[in-house]
Amino acid sequence: MKKLSMVSLGGLAAAAALTTVGLGTAVAQPDYGALPVNPNAITDSSAYVPMPPVLNPDGQQGVEQEFNHRDGSRGITTTIVVLPSAQDATGSMNAWQSRLGSVVANQTSQPVPVGTGGTWVTGTSPDGSQSVGVLLFTEANAAVEVQFDGPANDPVPADLVTQYGQDQVAAIHRQLGM
Amino acid sequence: MPKIATTVGATAVVVGSLLGAPSAGAAQVDTDITVDVSVAPPAPQRPAVQLLDCEGFTGAMGCGPGWFWRDGWRGWACYPC
Repeated sequence: MKKLSMVSLGGLAAAAALTTVGLGTAVAQPDYGALPVNPNAITDSSAYVPMPPVLNPDGQQGVEQEFNHRDGSRGITTTIVVLPSAQDATGSMNAWQSRLGSVVANQTSQPVPVGTGGTWVTGTSPDGSQSVGVLLFTEANAAVEVQFDGPANDPVPADLVTQYGQDQVAAIHRQLGM
Repeated sequence: MPKIATTVGATAVVVGSLLGAPSAGAAQVDTDITVDVSVAPPAPQRPAVQLLDCEGFTGAMGCGPGWFWRDGWRGWACYPC
């Protein structure tokens, strides 16, 4: 009886795997260009001018897009890469974080309630002329990095960062079905 | 029959005068209060406004003390000083 159950479960798993593969090949390529959250949507403003999205940055499946404030004083750059597994996404996020030293000086880091492993790193640009904040997190097999550059005396508010990140998580769920 | 009508009419006159008396008395009391200017409440004063915002006034957008209207991370909005 136990053996039969195992066989049945194995059969179900195989069927599920086949179904998954079948669906995976049938689903069209996601529109990564529409994946980054436009900051205008969460600020209820028209302050940000979106630059054209760059698909598959550095040869990785995903998207990168800049949103520049109309007065040129601040900008938000969102990078999303979609990897084969959640473990790969975590590895990509960790690699990004290890390289932040060249982007963010005088770093402070704290966890934020965004996706999985949400981390908020703040500081200044290496020359001290700007405030820099970087939000890192993963969601399923997607790794996300959002960089906020602004005036040295006006860093991005933490609540805006959290709100943006949580909206980005929702967009990944909605558009990639993760 | 005319005698009864006369009696009823006279009674009505008496009752009417009795009913009117308290009303007149009440009006008299009211008049006494309004003419006593020594206990009249003081005229209301304009509310005091404490000027505390970034530029010393409440600003065109009414951000209020401690806030400033500018184009920041959330676009045009009230931001803390």
